[in-house]
Amino acid sequence: MADVQRDVPIKSAQVEALVVMKIVKHCSATFPTTATGSLVGMDVNGVLEITNTFPFPTIDVAHTERDRDRDRDNHQNDASSLAAAAPRAKANIVYQNEMIRHLKEVNVDANNVGWYTSATMGNFVNLSFIENQYHYQRDNDKTVALVHDVSRSSQGFLSLRAFKLSSDFMAAYKEGKFTTESLQKSKLTFKDIIVEVPIIVHNSHLLTSFVYQIATPQDSAEVPLPASLDDIRRDPIKAPAHPSFDSLDLSIDPFLEKTCDLLLESIEAHYTDLNNHQYYQRQLTREQFKITQWQTKRKAENAARAAAKQPPLPEDEWQRLFKLPQEPSRLEGMLNARQVEQYSKQVDGFTATITTKMFAVRENLPE
Amino acid sequence: MAVEQEHFVHLSRPLAPALLGYSASSAPLTVNIQPQAVFSILDHAVRRDIRDTQSTRVIGALVGVRSEDGSDVEVRSTFAIPHTENEDQVEVDVEYQKNMLALTLKASPRETLLGWYTTSHELNSFSALIQNFFASPDTGTFPHPAVHLTISTDAGAAIETKTYISAPVAVNAERAAESCLFIEVPHRLLFSDAEKAALGSVAAAAEAPSDARAAPIVSDIEGLTNSLDTVSDLLERVSAYVSEVLDEERDGNQALGQYLMNALSLTPKVSGAQIEHDFNNHIQDVLMVSYLANSIRTQIDLAQRLATAPLVGGDKDAADKAKEGEEGGAGKGEGGRGGRGGKRGGRGGGRGGGQPREPREPREPVD
Repeated sequence: MADVQRDVPIKSAQVEALVVMKIVKHCSATFPTTATGSLVGMDVNGVLEITNTFPFPTIDVAHTERDRDRDRDNHQNDASSLAAAAPRAKANIVYQNEMIRHLKEVNVDANNVGWYTSATMGNFVNLSFIENQYHYQRDNDKTVALVHDVSRSSQGFLSLRAFKLSSDFMAAYKEGKFTTESLQKSKLTFKDIIVEVPIIVHNSHLLTSFVYQIATPQDSAEVPLPASLDDIRRDPIKAPAHPSFDSLDLSIDPFLEKTCDLLLESIEAHYTDLNNHQYYQRQLTREQFKITQWQTKRKAENAARAAAKQPPLPEDEWQRLFKLPQEPSRLEGMLNARQVEQYSKQVDGFTATITTKMFAVRENLPE
Repeated sequence: MAVEQEHFVHLSRPLAPALLGYSASSAPLTVNIQPQAVFSILDHAVRRDIRDTQSTRVIGALVGVRSEDGSDVEVRSTFAIPHTENEDQVEVDVEYQKNMLALTLKASPRETLLGWYTTSHELNSFSALIQNFFASPDTGTFPHPAVHLTISTDAGAAIETKTYISAPVAVNAERAAESCLFIEVPHRLLFSDAEKAALGSVAAAAEAPSDARAAPIVSDIEGLTNSLDTVSDLLERVSAYVSEVLDEERDGNQALGQYLMNALSLTPKVSGAQIEHDFNNHIQDVLMVSYLANSIRTQIDLAQRLATAPLVGGDKDAADKAKEGEEGGAGKGEGGRGGRGGKRGGRGGGRGGGQPREPREPREPVD
C-alpha cells in the first residue's frame, strides 16, 4: 500500500464533530434510502479538514410523493438512485455553489472538499459512487467521499470512512477504456480503484466542554446514596457515550443474513459480467471465422484472376464489410471484485468481535 | 436518551392581547433540541466575526419540526445569520436569512423556521427587536410562538442553554416593536440511537489524552476491548462495594441492594446444554459465513487476475482460458451444491431467516 500512499497528497481527513453529527443525522433520517450531501473545509499540509456539511435536496419530492401509491416498490429504488446521483446532478451543483456562497458570509470554510453518502453494510462500491467521486476529483484532486454505514453504526460503533480514487484509476477512467488490453498495459487491478484515507474526529474547545457536560463518568468514590428504588429510576445514571455499551449486543443473525444477501447479489453481478464476456468472446470468434473465410475466398479469387491476367482485387476490404464487436468494459467486474473484498473484510472484522463476545458469554454463564 | 436540563413546572404563558387577533393556544410548549443543532451553534460561536461589530454574540435561525398542535417543537438544524451590533443599533441581514432559509428548506422540505438563537444569556431590547422580527406574520413563525434559544459560550464556564418564547408587551405603542416579554420554557437535549454511536467517537476525541482534541475512529475490535474494560471496571467497583458492605466496613443501602438484586434476577435461566448447543450453532454460522465470504473473494480475485493476465499464447487466449477456468469453477460448484445444501438444511432447520439461503452459494474454492 506504500506506493499508493505516495501519490496521494492527502494523508488524512480531519472531520469536525459537527460534520459527524450532521451526517449521521441525515443518513439515519433517510435510511434505508440513500442520503447524499456536500462537504466543505480546506486542506492544510496534507490534512483535509472537513469543517461543515449540508445535505443535497432530494429531487422532486412532490412528484415521488404522488407516485408513491402507484408503485410503492419502485419508489424507494427511485428515491435511492436519485439521491445517489445527486452529487453530480446539474441542479445540485447550482445549489451547492449557492450554499457555499452563503456559508462564506458567516466565516465557514468555503471550499468544497467532497461529498458524503450513506451505505448499508458497506455496499457502496458501485458505478454511481465512482462517477460522483470522479466528478469531484476531476476538478480538485483534494476531495474525498465520506461513507457512513448506517447498519454498522447501529451496532454501537460509528462507521465512517473516507475514500478517494487513485490517480491511476482517474487516468484510466478519463480515457473511459477498460478493455483487457488496456488493463494489462496499465497493470490496474480492482485493488487500486479506491484508496482509503484515515479519519480523525476533531472537537473544538467549546465542544469538548459541552461533551463533558452531557455525560461525565462518575469517578468520585463518594456518591450520595439513594433513599429508595424510585430515586434510582427517576434519576438514571447518565452513562458516558464513550465507550458505548451498545457494542456488547449479541445479536448476530441479522448481520449474517444481510451479508449473505449482499454476497449473493455480488455473485449474481459477477455471473452477469461473465456472461457478457462469454457472449463477446463467441461473437468475436464467429466474426473472425467469417473474416478468415472471406479472406481465403478472396485469395482464391485473386489467384484465379492472376491466372486470367486480370488485376487482383483488394484484400483489405474485410475491414469495411465486417465489424468486430466492442469488448465490454471490465469496470463493472472490477468494482464488483472490490465490493466483494469489502464485504469479506467486513465479515472478518465481525467474526473477530462476535467470537470474542460469544466465548465470553459461554465461559461466564453457570452450568 | 434525553438529557433533561432541569425540572421545572411550567406555570405561566404569555397571554396575547386580543386586539392583534392572536389565538395562541395555552398548552405548554416543550422544546427538544437535537445535538447537532447545539454543535452547529457552538461551531458558529467559534467562527464569529469580530472585525466590524462590537457584539460578542452571534445569532442564527433554528429550523426543525413542530408537532401538529404546536405544543412540541424539535430543533433539528440551525444556520448562522450575519449581524452587526453597536451601542445604539442592531443590523440583521434579512435578505441572507430569507435566502438561507429557502436553501435549507429545499433540502429538508418537512422542516420549518422555529425561531432563533444567540450565544449569550443577556436579553436586551435588541433581543426583543429580533424576537419580534422572528415572530411576525410575514417573516417569522406566526401564529406559532417563535422560540428563542440562548446558549452561553463564555470561556471557562459551563455551557448553559435556555429557551424562551415571548409575549408582546410594551410601555406604550411606539415602543412595541422593541419590547417583549420573554418567558422561559422547558427544553431538553434529545439523542436518537443513531447519534449515540457518533457521540461515542466525539466523546473519544474529547477524552483524548493529548491536547489535540482529536481521535481516530477505532475499529470494531478496539472499541469492543474498550467497552469490555469499562464493563469489568464497573463490575469490580460494584463488587468492591458489596464486599465492603458484607465486611461491615460501610453501611448498606437498601435501595441499592434492591436494585442490584433486581438486576441479578434478570440473568436468564437456561441450562448449560442449551447454551452449549446455541453457542455451537451460532459460532459455526459465523465462521461459515466468514469462510464463504473469503472463498468468494479469492475466487473473484482469481477471475479478475486471469481475465487480464497475459498468458502464453496471446491476449485472446488468456481471456479464453480465464473464461474456461470460470466455467469449470462454476460447474464444480454446482455439483457440490446438493450435498452441502442437504447437510445444512438438516442441521439449521430450527432457525428461519436467511440461513437457508446459504446453500445457494455454490462458489467454494475449486479443489
